[in-house]
Amino acid sequence: MVKLEFEHRQAGHCESGVTRNLLNYHHHKISEPMAFGIGAGLFFSYLPFLKMQHAPTTSFRVWPGQVFDRATKELGVKTSIHTFRNPKESMDKLNAVLEQGYPVGLQVGTYHLPFFPPEYRMHYNMHNMIAYGHDNGNYFISDTLMENLVEINYEDLKRVRFAKGAFAPQGRMYYPTYVPKDIDIRPAIIKGIRKTANNMVGIPFPIIGVKGIRYLAGRMRNWEKKLGPEKASYYLGQVLRMEEEVGTAGAGFRYIYGAFLEEASGVLNQPWLREISFEMGENANKWREFSYLGSRNCKKRGKPDQSYDFLADILLEVADREEKIFKKLATIK
Amino acid sequence: MGNISDEVKDKSTGDNELIYKYNRELFYHFDKETGFTQEVDYQNPNNQVIIKQSWDAAEQRLNEVKQLVIIGKLSPIAYYMEKILMEVPMLAAYMEISGWRVRRHLKSRVFKKLNQEILARYAAIFGITIEQLTKPDFLG
Repeated sequence: MVKLEFEHRQAGHCESGVTRNLLNYHHHKISEPMAFGIGAGLFFSYLPFLKMQHAPTTSFRVWPGQVFDRATKELGVKTSIHTFRNPKESMDKLNAVLEQGYPVGLQVGTYHLPFFPPEYRMHYNMHNMIAYGHDNGNYFISDTLMENLVEINYEDLKRVRFAKGAFAPQGRMYYPTYVPKDIDIRPAIIKGIRKTANNMVGIPFPIIGVKGIRYLAGRMRNWEKKLGPEKASYYLGQVLRMEEEVGTAGAGFRYIYGAFLEEASGVLNQPWLREISFEMGENANKWREFSYLGSRNCKKRGKPDQSYDFLADILLEVADREEKIFKKLATIK
Repeated sequence: MGNISDEVKDKSTGDNELIYKYNRELFYHFDKETGFTQEVDYQNPNNQVIIKQSWDAAEQRLNEVKQLVIIGKLSPIAYYMEKILMEVPMLAAYMEISGWRVRRHLKSRVFKKLNQEILARYAAIFGITIEQLTKPDFLG
């Protein structure tokens, strides 16, 4: 039996929250937006060829695992990361690490997660949570989506750690092993901002970054004609689900990123970043307007309030805003 | 494997009425006056509508597959696969066999000849007994 003194705090985004809570345990205080920004978590891509729940995938974030990996690397934190083939081995390793006194981040699938809200229990393999102890085949879990601490038994935990399908977690577990005492987070912030700016405006590929938003706008205009009203509404719903749910804290991470820029402005003593953080906030509100109008369409299915052209125009507007924001951010020194 | 789709359906939605009240989440907001703020609350009604949309679509797909199983076009595996929201590549990964074999097993002609061992593996993934797999209750 081991149960570490672990402070549970909710977060908007699971992986950033896990990163913050793990660092917090090792006495490095950092906010969730800071972990997200240094980890360069913001992104956009539209993948028409990769279907999830029978509709194309839209992603507002980077690859799973990157936020923790980047943030800890840039902060000089030493980490241990494992994936496994053998489920039993992965559980033995988890027990051993917990007994050494480290809380552990786990990547899991959400379909069989017993404590998860039923409405979110789909086959989504990129969820993250923390195990902070175990007792007699029962594991103590801090999940940043949940209001309270939760528990899970051995068999269920093994099953969710070895969920199959796209982005299968393969028992992925990760934890900081050494956190330096005095960390200068300023260079890490600047590198994180540059990386995100490059992801958003520096990659010459049509489905990624700001170009990806414009690409999605273009596809959206033809949905109704190509797919019929039912399916068009379902495709739109899929974009909105990826934007507003599955742990984005709203508006596809744009709010968290704005909060990060605001905090960064203070830490770096660069007031112009504060102005940009407000532009990002306005931009996030525009995304939210898009999802609000879009959800009205989904509700009425065949008889949309707004035409898809109208929604696509909003996307073009946010693409212009984000292009302006990230071109400025790319010049940070 | 539980009947999650049963838990979340059957809840009618009026305007601005919350459908899902299981857990409150953390959200960020922005306003020119107050800057960035955080708040713990249920997912707002508009977003709940789009969550419900995907469950409704899943239910509709399940009904369509059910009809095809009843007329003998598809095997019960197709029905149970849809019921736990899987598609062929994922089910194949859980079965540890190739996708084309799973696709073959979706034909009722092939399904009838499957051996007990394969049936038992499917049943375990679907969380049901072999009897339930070979004779789903809707087939009478």
